[in-house]
Amino acid sequence: MKVPRLGARAQSWVGFGLLTILILTPLHAALESSMSRHMLIQYPALMLSGALLSAAVPGVLRRRLAPWNALGLSGFVAVALCLAVLMIPRVLDLALDDPGVEAGKILALIVAGALLRHSWRIGGLLIQAFFLGYTLPMMGVVGSLYESAPARLCNAYLLDDQQNLGQGLIWLSVAIALIWLARAGRCLMARP
Amino acid sequence: MLRTILASAFFAALSYASAHALTHDFQVWTAEGARRLEVALNPVTPPAVELFAPWAPSQRLDHILADGHAATIVDFIYTRCTTVCLSLGNTFQQLQTAIVSANPSAVNPPVRLLSISFDPVHDDPQALGQYAARLHADPRVWRFAGPRNAHDLAQLLKPYEVVVIPDGLGGFEHNAALLVVDPTGRLVRIFDYAEADLALAYARSIAAESNAR
Repeated sequence: MKVPRLGARAQSWVGFGLLTILILTPLHAALESSMSRHMLIQYPALMLSGALLSAAVPGVLRRRLAPWNALGLSGFVAVALCLAVLMIPRVLDLALDDPGVEAGKILALIVAGALLRHSWRIGGLLIQAFFLGYTLPMMGVVGSLYESAPARLCNAYLLDDQQNLGQGLIWLSVAIALIWLARAGRCLMARP
Repeated sequence: MLRTILASAFFAALSYASAHALTHDFQVWTAEGARRLEVALNPVTPPAVELFAPWAPSQRLDHILADGHAATIVDFIYTRCTTVCLSLGNTFQQLQTAIVSANPSAVNPPVRLLSISFDPVHDDPQALGQYAARLHADPRVWRFAGPRNAHDLAQLLKPYEVVVIPDGLGGFEHNAALLVVDPTGRLVRIFDYAEADLALAYARSIAAESNAR
């Protein structure tokens, strides 16, 4: 199946539109009113908007920045650490009533999305495997902690919501692993 | 490659600094943990909110708490609650028994109890009075109070970082705990309600300390 590709300009406009909807419309509060939607939908959506927006980065700047991200390594490091920090339960509570933390969270996710897209493209299978080999188990462990914690970890969210989030994180990490393995397998088979 | 390593080190330092700040040097991971730690480090002065009470004229919270002689263990409740508050109610009954048995006349006990309602829509003085009677509260030791409207409620909950959310079943979920307030009215420590004995011992010790001064 061939997905029609958008030009760079169109991509950055779609990214900008998505970001505007995520931040400035009632969808912002709606996604954050549930712990699972907050992390499982808003986080990836913000990263996607960052990835699309990054299409607007001009070629000159890309060439200037390239030596700082050889093989996508520093980008992967940044994304993995960013996700680790943003999965701390306190962040979800603070994001709701501290505008500074909320702004930092949104900015970090946009940058992480942009870096992930760029690093993914130049990293190759081996570096991707290292990145996923660190990030997916981390997601799974955090997910099982959220799922099995007997008490609420966030004051603003209910316990069953927290358990849903935990299960969601586990399933998401498994799904990403399977999809990546299938694609990597196909890629390797196609090599002469 | 050197620049890539430098960039990675920069991101690592940035993440470490954020995580360090968010977790108070990796001591707490939840908002509740941070709240308890912050209270222990920096006591919270009570908000000057007017509260009604059953069988008594309304009074400001800071005046109720700062009686200069007794420490107070405070909890937040709503009278329709049938889950956490029931066990808090039980805990408070046990605390009341312990306080009265240590001081049978119960005149000027060194530790008092205060249950504050966070449901001004349903809890009026009468509802609180019935609730107190149901729990066999001894008014010399265990008092009840509640804010008169949503505005006062917000002023009351904010400094104590009490978060109340609808539980989807018509009731509320809230970060229930035992708040130990010293005789000058400052919130000095927060305990889990499973640690009631510890809370009482701590309240007794700060009351004794302040009375010795």
